[in-house]
Amino acid sequence: MTDENTKADGGVADATHGADHHHDLPDPGHVKRWLVTTNHKDIGVLYTITALFFLVFGGVLALLMRLQLWTPGVSLLEPLQYNQAVSAHGLLMIFWFLSPFAFGFANYVVPLQIGAKDLAFPRLNALSYWLYLFSGILMGVSFFQGGTFSGGWTMYAPLNLPVYTPNIGASTAVLALTMFTASVTVGSVNFLTTMHRMRAEGLTLRRMPLFTWTILLTTWMMLFAFAALLAALMILSADRLLGTTYFSATGHAGSLLWAHLFWFFGHPEVYIVFFPALGVMAECFQTFTGRRLVGRKWFIAAMVLVALQSFLVWMHHMFLTSINLQIKTLFMATTIGISLPFDLMVFALIYTTVKGKVRFTTPFLFSFGALMLFILGGITGVFLGAVVLDYEFRGTYWVVAHFHYVMVGGVTALVGGLYYWYPKMTGKMYDEFLGKVHFALYFVGFNLLYFPMFVAWETPRRDFVYPEVFVGWHQVATVGGFVLGASFLVMFYNLFVSLWRGEEADDNPWQYSTTTEWAIPSPPPLENFPGKPTFRDGSLKFLPGAGSRTGGTGGSVADGGEFTVEEATDGGASVSQAADTHAADEPESHASIWPFAIGVASFVLLFGLSGLQNASFPSGIEGGFYAALTVGGLVGGLAALVAMATEEFHALTGPFGESWPFEGVENTKLGVWIFLASDVVLFGAFVGSYAFIRVAEGWTNWHHLIPEAHVPLPGLINTYILLTSSFTVVLALVAAEKGSRWGLVGSLATTFVLGMAFLVNKALEWLHLFHVHTEAFPQGWNIGTNIASSTFYLTTGLHGLHVIAGLIVTLYLLVRAWNGAYLDDDRPVEYFGLYWHFVDIVWLFLFPLFYIL
Amino acid sequence: MKLGAGDYAHVVLQQGGIVPKGTRVEVFRQIFTVFLALGTLVGVVVVGYMVYNAYKYRDGDGRGDDPDAPRLGELPTGGGGGRKLFLSFGLSTIIVVSLIAWTYGTLLYVEENPPGEEGETTNIEVVGFRFGWEFVYPNGHSASTLRVPENETIRLSVTSDDVFHTFGVPDLRVKTDAIPGQTTDTWLRADETGTYEARCFELCGAGHSYMTAEVVVMEPDEYEAWYANTSGPNGNSNSSSAGDAPDGSSALGAPTGAPSVPAAASSLEVVA
Ligand code: HEM
Ligand SMILES: [Cu+2]
Ligand SMILES: [Cu+2]
Repeated sequence: MTDENTKADGGVADATHGADHHHDLPDPGHVKRWLVTTNHKDIGVLYTITALFFLVFGGVLALLMRLQLWTPGVSLLEPLQYNQAVSAHGLLMIFWFLSPFAFGFANYVVPLQIGAKDLAFPRLNALSYWLYLFSGILMGVSFFQGGTFSGGWTMYAPLNLPVYTPNIGASTAVLALTMFTASVTVGSVNFLTTMHRMRAEGLTLRRMPLFTWTILLTTWMMLFAFAALLAALMILSADRLLGTTYFSATGHAGSLLWAHLFWFFGHPEVYIVFFPALGVMAECFQTFTGRRLVGRKWFIAAMVLVALQSFLVWMHHMFLTSINLQIKTLFMATTIGISLPFDLMVFALIYTTVKGKVRFTTPFLFSFGALMLFILGGITGVFLGAVVLDYEFRGTYWVVAHFHYVMVGGVTALVGGLYYWYPKMTGKMYDEFLGKVHFALYFVGFNLLYFPMFVAWETPRRDFVYPEVFVGWHQVATVGGFVLGASFLVMFYNLFVSLWRGEEADDNPWQYSTTTEWAIPSPPPLENFPGKPTFRDGSLKFLPGAGSRTGGTGGSVADGGEFTVEEATDGGASVSQAADTHAADEPESHASIWPFAIGVASFVLLFGLSGLQNASFPSGIEGGFYAALTVGGLVGGLAALVAMATEEFHALTGPFGESWPFEGVENTKLGVWIFLASDVVLFGAFVGSYAFIRVAEGWTNWHHLIPEAHVPLPGLINTYILLTSSFTVVLALVAAEKGSRWGLVGSLATTFVLGMAFLVNKALEWLHLFHVHTEAFPQGWNIGTNIASSTFYLTTGLHGLHVIAGLIVTLYLLVRAWNGAYLDDDRPVEYFGLYWHFVDIVWLFLFPLFYIL
Repeated sequence: MKLGAGDYAHVVLQQGGIVPKGTRVEVFRQIFTVFLALGTLVGVVVVGYMVYNAYKYRDGDGRGDDPDAPRLGELPTGGGGGRKLFLSFGLSTIIVVSLIAWTYGTLLYVEENPPGEEGETTNIEVVGFRFGWEFVYPNGHSASTLRVPENETIRLSVTSDDVFHTFGVPDLRVKTDAIPGQTTDTWLRADETGTYEARCFELCGAGHSYMTAEVVVMEPDEYEAWYANTSGPNGNSNSSSAGDAPDGSSALGAPTGAPSVPAAASSLEVVA
């Protein structure tokens, strides 16, 4: 799905209608503005507000748990309600609050810091947001479908199957998380393309500000880690909705498979949520100490190392499973290895304060506090790295205390970031006194809440019965929880009231800040910069010319650090006029309703699918309701996708100076490549799961699970068909280059026919297998018959879905080619070709795995 | 030369080996204490240093402006001070790596060479189910209370009948996952008679908080007498709750197998 969007967003500019000139973007005062906007700053604001909403949601659940823990045993919540609270709290805080909160800043600040007017694919950015919001709403809906998922945020198998967690709401929660994962993948592709391709001249990777650096590494980790999670969730959804048997209880290694898949994602996720916080700390420490980061080079190197290594430590979450001593040793070593770079980062931050001019403003207090909490979290983490100690700490409040110190420590820094960028985002100053009150309450509440958990560490985790001796400590923790919660009320009050009554904020309210966002007005105008930003001469300048709001002189840094952009700051309205009169290059678009529409449709579709059980809807009104939603969502989603693809939309193209190492790779092409990289991980996880289960089952025993009728021939035919279709796609590109319209149409049509042939052949094969009647398989060989059939249908089915998506794009290209498109610009055909070849290559792996071996 | 099972650990400890050995309780206590002491020390030093610096270099004490202060729009570069940075980094690396290496010796010991001798140890099978534990002895006797003799190393083979559980006896510092379709091995050794509590440490459903079992550590003679009196699977075992443990494979795919929430107390039953 993403690939089509990527393609469409590349700005195929020859479609018919379209009135998305940015001055058509309604005022911020209108609701419509917020539904159609694709501007990175608007979306940053939306992310921030939505994330704070989910903080409250998850926080209320946390407080309910804290009340339950006032004394041991059942009080406020029934056992299953408690389990739902603990699961939903973890999921909401990690997925729907923490990362999106950071991505609010990433959206707002990263383009400003790198000197880009927007992200590479603005509509995809809006799509990320809407998928995020609606996935969260879907998560909320799950509470009303007999209760949400109650198996912990780690969702261990087989507790995550309907046999043990039968609520429809549990399926909904899994689907909501799947939707969230899609949002993250779209966002990662977008950010990676933007950051690699669209930096201002002179802003090499090495020179990027630290916050941008952390987001770059975060999105790389997200791209791969979330692809693994997507695979895990797709398999889980299939188990829950279609009746495949990957994770079912006995007989094979389903339980361990889940643990591997989940933690392969789960450990990088720890850094994914923490890195942006680190970036905020680095920015705030530099600004508020008036010093450059000590050992900046090594700080960055350390983060790169952690990002790479984060994919090699996952089994430290499985020290108590049946993995052997050699593997334990290996993962103990990688775990300790990954903790060391953090020491360096911590010391770098501390040494930055030395000889500085430290100003204890609210953002600095939060960053400073965050570092302290992180140090405590880090030290207690070393305890867990010692395997012998981990044996005892696993499943206790030691773990709960440790990860809250680390993760909520990260939240602390991000709250600092909120105060730091609030003047930039709103143009108003918050109340400094109330900010400090917030910090004091927060810091005291935090430590009252979590420190006692170390003392009472022998309390079992996710458990409300604990030894009587710990009652006092838990009561202190509960009080601390409420203090922490109350501190946020102070923040909401402060930030809300300051919107009206706050002082006007200067462009640069912070002495010694250096990054580009402070060189432009607060809040920045739609086009961000008064000219083209460049660092060619070693420091920021805005060059006059295209995109310049006055077309006159640009700003430059005067001695003393004040930025002289006066000519540029007056009259926001002139922006659009200037840009319009320079009709030489098209103004960028800023509005599209289709991302929102796709978000709604996806919500409806997944809501509908949640009603599935064993591949069919329940009978009666309820089943009809879910079926109708499914169909409606699917049709609506496809329509919205097509509408978005045909809409005229001008995105930025870049490059604007620095694009290493992708100077020669156009934005859309890079986007397709990055997306395919994540798709490789997705298929890798599917194939890995197949291999893992098959090995556990006995590689050769497997043949007993497969009927005689499963022969290689249909697969072989399909291999030929797909290879031929790859060839016809190449022909299509050649024809487009030669300007041969009918050659193009003919090759695309052949591709389409071949693709259809592939699907028909597959359908016939499947129908045949569904209806075999042998002694071993009296009921046919269905998707849920056994684990071999499950892996076969699901993995090749995922590939089939890729073929279907490809055919939809082919059809779209075909219609447009018929009307004469692509002869002067054949890039869409080329990018589609990349995708199609990828799908073919995947088949070349699947065919031997599922038909021959 | 062979040492008596119980003496072995003591000998090592008394001879001043640096690697902690002994029962899991002893091992844990020693390592935890060292970690706590060092952790507190490092924490206090680092946080103290941090606060001290931030206070010392606070703004407003009349120091003049640094001519080299960061300026808006400059390209990010690093500040000096790399030497000190690497010094502290090196120091912390040494502390962390040596601490972990030190505990690794114990890990090897705990995993490969527990106190007591091969052959002399009893092997008990532990099966977790929602929401209780079943203990199966070598003679086939099965019960919902774990009885073990004092001062003997008991090997446990742990598995699960339904979902992922984790078996642990906090006071004996033993813990391992109970995974359906897999067996994990661990051992325990108690040097005091008494009654302890085993419980589940991995969320497994509505009864998770109540998924406990009693562990009774007996005098060796008493234990022998008790054990001699037990007989095969159909003997006088108290496996009532174990008997109706849901069979995972039959429950699968059949919504009828969906668990009902047991009365919390039902899994608390104590078997004498
Ligand atoms: C208002 C502040 C918060 C309170 C009072 C709170 C409290 C709790 C409590 C009582 C648990 C249950 C522990 C257990 O039984 O295993 C828990 C679990 C958890 N919390 Fe928080 N928490 C708060 C904020 C956060 C934040 C901000 C995050 C993340 C950013 C977070 C992440 C988690 C996670 C991941 C779990 C584990 C859930 C699981 O094990 O399934 N919490 N929290
Ligand atoms: Cu981890
Ligand atoms: Cu449990």
